[in-house]
Amino acid sequence: MAKYIVRRILLLFPVLFGVSLATFMVMHLFTTDPAEIILGQHATTERVAALREELGLNKPIYVQYADYLSDAVRGDFGKSVITKTSISDELMKRFPATLELALAAIFIASVAGITAGVISAVKQNSIFDYGSMVAALMGVSMPIFWLGLMMIIVFSVTLGWLPSSGRISIGMTPEHVTGLYLLDSLITGDMEAFSDALKHLILPAVALGSYSTAIIARMTRATMLETIRQDYIRTARAKGLSEKVVIIKHALRNALIPIVTVIGLQMGSLLGGAVLTETVFSWPGIGSYVVEGIMASDYPRVQGAVLLIGTIFVLVNLVVDILYSVLDPRIQHS
Amino acid sequence: MEIQLKDSNTSDAASLAVHKSPVVEFLERFFRSNSAVIGLVLLLILVAAALFAPVFAPYDPYESNMPNALTAPNSAHLMGTDELGRDIFSRILYGARISLVVGVQAVSLALICGVVLGAVAGYYGGKVDTVIMGFMDVMLSFPSILLAIAFMTVLGRGIDKAVIAIGIVSIPQYARIVRSSVLSVKENVYVTAARAIGNGDGRLIFVHILPNVLAPIIVRATIGISDAILEAAALGFLGLGVAPPTAEWGTMLGSGRQTIFNAPHIVTFPGLAITMTVMAFNLLGDGLRDVLDPRLK
Repeated sequence: MAKYIVRRILLLFPVLFGVSLATFMVMHLFTTDPAEIILGQHATTERVAALREELGLNKPIYVQYADYLSDAVRGDFGKSVITKTSISDELMKRFPATLELALAAIFIASVAGITAGVISAVKQNSIFDYGSMVAALMGVSMPIFWLGLMMIIVFSVTLGWLPSSGRISIGMTPEHVTGLYLLDSLITGDMEAFSDALKHLILPAVALGSYSTAIIARMTRATMLETIRQDYIRTARAKGLSEKVVIIKHALRNALIPIVTVIGLQMGSLLGGAVLTETVFSWPGIGSYVVEGIMASDYPRVQGAVLLIGTIFVLVNLVVDILYSVLDPRIQHS
Repeated sequence: MEIQLKDSNTSDAASLAVHKSPVVEFLERFFRSNSAVIGLVLLLILVAAALFAPVFAPYDPYESNMPNALTAPNSAHLMGTDELGRDIFSRILYGARISLVVGVQAVSLALICGVVLGAVAGYYGGKVDTVIMGFMDVMLSFPSILLAIAFMTVLGRGIDKAVIAIGIVSIPQYARIVRSSVLSVKENVYVTAARAIGNGDGRLIFVHILPNVLAPIIVRATIGISDAILEAAALGFLGLGVAPPTAEWGTMLGSGRQTIFNAPHIVTFPGLAITMTVMAFNLLGDGLRDVLDPRLK
C-alpha cells in the first residue's frame, strides 16, 4: 500500500511536467502576438520589437519554457498583458470562489444523488424509481449552461426569489478569513452576509451539481440493488431489525465504496463544468477568468489558469485514487 | 432483413437447439430494450429533421426580419423569433445538421486515433505503451471542455475546427478502452494460434484482436457522440464554436443570453433540442450496452 502511494506521488511529477508543457505549447501556438495586443494595432514596429524584447518573446522557445516553468513552480504565473496585474494574485483571489461553488455543488449532488438512488433501489420499479431515473437521464443530457439559464428565467426573472449573478450583494462581503463567504460569515457571525451569500450560491451550485447528481443517483441505485440482494441483508431482516436500520446501516454502508469513488471522480469534472457555470452566473472564479482571458486574447492569463486547473484536477484524482485504495483493501496494486 | 427472419424461422422450426444467427439475436435483444428503442426513435426523428430541414422549415433560417424580432411563440412562428427576427423553429431544424455532423465526425476522428494508439500500446506494451499512455494521461489531466476551449482559441472558429478540437480531446477515452481490451484478449489461444501460422502484427491486431473487443468500443462511441454534442454546444455558447450566423444550437443559446429577461423562448428551444439529441445517444448507448455486453453494466 505505502509503495503504491509513493509510486503514485512520484508519477505525479512527469504528469505535471507534461501538463505545464502542454499548456505552454498550446498557448504559444497562439496566432496573435501578445506585444501587439498590449500596444494595439497602430503601434510602431520598433515599439512592438522593444516590448517583445522586454517580455522575453525573442528568446528561443525552450528558454521561454524554462523561464516560465521556473517562475511557475515558485507560484509566479507572470502578468496579464491587458490589466498588467499579477496573474497569481488574481488566481489566489478567485480560487476560493471556485472552491466554494464546487464544494456546494458536490454537497448538493451527494445528498440528492444518494437519497434518490437509495429510495429508487428500495422501491424498485415504483413511480419514484421511474421518475428519478428519468430525471437522472435528463441530468446527464442537459447542457449545464442551459439549465443555469432556465433556472435564472424561472427563479430570478419570473419568481424573483434568487439573484441571477455574482457571489454576494455589493457592500455585504464578509471579513476575509478563508475567502469562502459562507464560512467567513459564519466565523464572523455576520448572518446577513451568510444568507445573502447562500442565496447567490444556490442556483449556480444546483446547475453545476446537476450532472454529478444524476451520475451519483444512478451509481447508488445500481450498487444498492446489488447489495440489498445479499444474504447478510436477509439475515439482518430476519433478526427483526427495522427496515430503516437494514437499509442505512447494513446496505448503504457496504455500498458506499463505489459511491464515494464516483463522488471523488465528479470533483474533477466539476472543474470543467465550473468554466461554463461561472460564465452563466457571472461568478467571479477561475472558470470565468479563463473565459474572460480568451475573449481578451490575454494568453498568459489563460495559460496560468489552465495550468492551475490542470494541476488541481491531477491532485484531486490522486487523492481519490489513494483514498479508494485505503477504503477498500481488497483492491490489489501491482 | 427478410432473409434473416426466414433464417430464424427455419432454424426455430428445425430445432430449438440450433443457434439463431447473431444478427437476428442482436436485433431481438435490441428491440426488447426500451432504452435502445426510444433512443433509436428519437435519433430517427432528429436525422429526419436534419435531412429534410429545407422541406419542414417554414422560413429561411438566415433571413432576418427586424420588425418581427423577439416575437413569442405563435401560430406563424411555432418557437418564436430571435433577436434578428429569424424563425427559431427553422433554425433549430437546420441546427440538427450541425450537431449531428459535429458529433459523429468528432467521435470518428477520436475513434480512429484512439483505436490505433490504444491497440499499439496494448499490443506492444513496454516503452511504446509508457510513452503513448503518458501522453494520454497528460491529456486526461485537463477537464476535456477546458482542453477543447484551449484548442479552439488556437485554431479559431468553425465547424471543422470544432470537430478537430473535440475529436482530439476525446482520443484518450478510446485509447484507454482499446488498450485494456487488447491486453485482455492478446494472450488468448486464438491469437497465439494466428501468430503461430505466421500472421504479422498488423493483421493480428486488426483482424484477430480488434473485432473481439468491438462491443465496449461501440458502446463508448455512441455515448461519446452525446459528449461531443454537449461540448460543441458549450463551445458555441462561449462564442468559440461555429461562427454566426450559422444556425448552431449552442451559438443560438449564447447569442440569446442577452435577451433572456424579455424573451426567454430564445434560449428555451435550442436547449431542449440539445437535451433531446444528447438523450437519444445516451439511451441508445445504454441500450446497446445491455444488448452487446451485459457484463458491462
